[in-house]
Amino acid sequence: MSEKIVSKFFYNKEAAKLDYYKKHGGYVALKKALSMKPDEIIAEVKKSNLRGRGGAGFPTGMKWSFIPKESKVPKYLVCNADESEPGTFKDRAIMTYSPHMMIEGMIIGSYAVGANASYIYIRGEYVREAEYLEEALAEAYKDGLLGDNIMGSGFKLNMYVHRGAGAYICGEETGLLNSLEGKRGEPRVKPPFPAIKGAFGGPTVVNNVETLANIPAIIEKGGEWFASLGKIPNSGGTRLYCVSGHVNKPGLYEFNCGAVTLRELIYDHCGGIRNGNKLKAVIPGGSSAPVLLPHELDIALDVEPMMKAGTMLGSAGIIVIDETWCAVKAIKRITHFYAHESCGQCTPCREGCRWMEDVLHRIEDGHGKESDMALLLEVADNINGKTLCALGDAAAGPVTSFVRKFKHEFEEHIKGGKCPNV
Amino acid sequence: MPKCIIDGKELEFKPGETIIQIADRNGIDIPRFCYHPALEVVAQCRMCAVEVEKMPKMQTACSTPAGEGMIVHTASPKVKAMRTSVMEFTLINHPLDCPICDESGECTLQDYSYAYGTPDSRYEENRRTFIDLDMGPVIMKNMNRCIHCTRCIRFCDEVGGFREMVALKRGNSTEITTVDGKPLETDYAGNLADICPTGSLTLKDFRFKKRSWYLKKTKSVCEGCSQGCNIELHQDGNTVLRTVPRENMDINKWWICDEGRFSFHYIHSKSRVIAPAVRNNMQLEETDWYSAAEEAKRHLTGKTLVLIGTDLTLEEMKSIQTFTSIKLKDAALFHYGTPEIIKASDDKEEDKILRRTSKTSNLHGAEKLGLKGWDGSGKYDSIFIFRGGRAQMLTNLRKTANHIVGWGVFNKEALDGFDVVLPGVSFAEKTGTIVNWQGKEQKLGKSINALGDSKELSEAFTFINR
Repeated sequence: MSEKIVSKFFYNKEAAKLDYYKKHGGYVALKKALSMKPDEIIAEVKKSNLRGRGGAGFPTGMKWSFIPKESKVPKYLVCNADESEPGTFKDRAIMTYSPHMMIEGMIIGSYAVGANASYIYIRGEYVREAEYLEEALAEAYKDGLLGDNIMGSGFKLNMYVHRGAGAYICGEETGLLNSLEGKRGEPRVKPPFPAIKGAFGGPTVVNNVETLANIPAIIEKGGEWFASLGKIPNSGGTRLYCVSGHVNKPGLYEFNCGAVTLRELIYDHCGGIRNGNKLKAVIPGGSSAPVLLPHELDIALDVEPMMKAGTMLGSAGIIVIDETWCAVKAIKRITHFYAHESCGQCTPCREGCRWMEDVLHRIEDGHGKESDMALLLEVADNINGKTLCALGDAAAGPVTSFVRKFKHEFEEHIKGGKCPNV
Repeated sequence: MPKCIIDGKELEFKPGETIIQIADRNGIDIPRFCYHPALEVVAQCRMCAVEVEKMPKMQTACSTPAGEGMIVHTASPKVKAMRTSVMEFTLINHPLDCPICDESGECTLQDYSYAYGTPDSRYEENRRTFIDLDMGPVIMKNMNRCIHCTRCIRFCDEVGGFREMVALKRGNSTEITTVDGKPLETDYAGNLADICPTGSLTLKDFRFKKRSWYLKKTKSVCEGCSQGCNIELHQDGNTVLRTVPRENMDINKWWICDEGRFSFHYIHSKSRVIAPAVRNNMQLEETDWYSAAEEAKRHLTGKTLVLIGTDLTLEEMKSIQTFTSIKLKDAALFHYGTPEIIKASDDKEEDKILRRTSKTSNLHGAEKLGLKGWDGSGKYDSIFIFRGGRAQMLTNLRKTANHIVGWGVFNKEALDGFDVVLPGVSFAEKTGTIVNWQGKEQKLGKSINALGDSKELSEAFTFINR
């Protein structure tokens, strides 16, 4: 039996209301947290083995512990609600049905790192979700859960919703911070890392929505309990998996970390491939994850097993592609996205993503050349690991994996002078 | 001091120094486009990436602080391959129009292409294109040549003092431009052409004037104000074509202002008097040096006022003092230069960057020699006025005296009342010493020979002393 933590209230509109949330155990964890020392909270989160749910999978407790205890400038906690990775839609559901769970996590986190101001950076397209959050914040302020004296503890915290303007790169934490400060959404050079110099020059912790929504449960039931849920060492709790594409039952699934394999998820829980079609490919962690073939699906769904298999769990946005879809077209579409979303500041990403897109476009149109596959691999290799932020890797990884794994389809396009699927 | 190892050399560094700073200090060449020591480090171009042992990824030398015992390779096969790939990316959208580009010959992109690029291109797709932008009186932009190093944006932000340039759109469509396409307002726009590593931003003033490899270079000092910015004069034949800043961390760092940069144009102005002239009835008529010198002696009678431009060198001022003490014993000596600025303490900073209110270069040197500024008062029989080229043109001198003799760089239109004009030389046509507001003595370099029949002051005195 899988534990339900963040999806506990899913699809119940009532649960977004403060009354309902409080009636069902909400803000009990906050009360408890405010009676603890900040260090004890961080220790509990460390013990929980909670890893960041945004994509990189960095241990959350460790991230919090990087924030200096003493700081001359204000410290901040920022919730990354940009959810921009294609194939990912879990944070949206949390903000719709459990905004208070996330806000509670944010208050606890702010208390733990010593921040008195906290921002929710939400992608511009999430108009309704931003409204839900504003409503939830208003309720929380009214109830004394935010403001100058939270639950009578003397802890002060103000929280703001900041809407983005529609750039994928603002999901990258330093790009997000620039955008939050009103600057162009471009990632910053690291070091300094946000923990030392983040928003407005202050030490800043940036956490994903789902990460923060897990915090109340950890405080309430303890880090050890949370850690025990994970079926993989060093990865505690449960995780939301966003399944989209050609499966019979796409949607959000919550399982204990590493408890199910990719194959089990697709065939046992999502009802297999639509129309009884054959599976062609699975992109397992948002569109930037290298693609997997049907025989590569027996991997436990968690950060480390996926990494060992040469791909990544990322934001757990699982895109399933069946045999009716052209692999070249798929990777062309993905590459178009990255070329379009490249911020343009660093050379390999700005020039390389567009170049790969152009070559893929040519191949799909039947104007490819024999040398194009080697060219794509080399251009991808010249981007991978050589850019300022991870967007370059995100664009290069899929291209490399598609060209290697669907070599025959590329060759058919090039030799036949057209897409064989048309 | 901690030590790191770059290319096998053990090098000391100050904590916090980056790899590129240590390499620059020790003569190890690391190519770069976006890095500039004056500007914020952005690590965008990726050209300076080096291999650091124990780090899995290539590190940009501009942004990576050195650590104790760090081992860095700047010429390993991995580094070379990265440079080649960055050059390939950088050039796929560059028009390679070097034959008609003003930057050609002094272009970082061109040099690196030669050093690190490949002879052929694998790029077969369409290049992005933009329309040229007129960025005001100083700069012309050709966006096609731009490699997005953003030095110009950061210059306006961090040095120029206000944000005038921005990046529009994103990714491959990113366009570097001024805010709303407006003309630049900064008084330091010319520096944008200097720091641009390609021919994207060029000086309108120098456009299509001369291939850069024909230019000869002379180290000198700007005479535009009392700051004394270090410059290089670039000349071809006997013509000065432009001035560019020369690094001096104590005075001007890497910059000069536009006023100083373009002030040299008077040297080759058609209105400049470059032949001796003597008044005949109402008209100044060209003559030879012998007759002009004779006429000068005839006019320098009675009580003489000697006016010394603060745009002259210390050597020239001293020789005027010596000449006066022998030939014009009762003369009164004063300096002049900028309206309202009578003494050195009147000289203030004009902005927070470089410009100062004294628009001549040697006001502080003149005071050092004991000269006082002329306040326009007094009645004299004659005036002997000396001018280097930048000092204000004094009109209405006839109110002060009936006989006026001048040596120096004069404008034909501003010779009202002059009896004799002896053509002198500008700062580019002589050597000498000037003293800036900080009291630093600096040397002018002689870039070209005296134009026309102009003569240096010592020669002019020889004629008068005959």
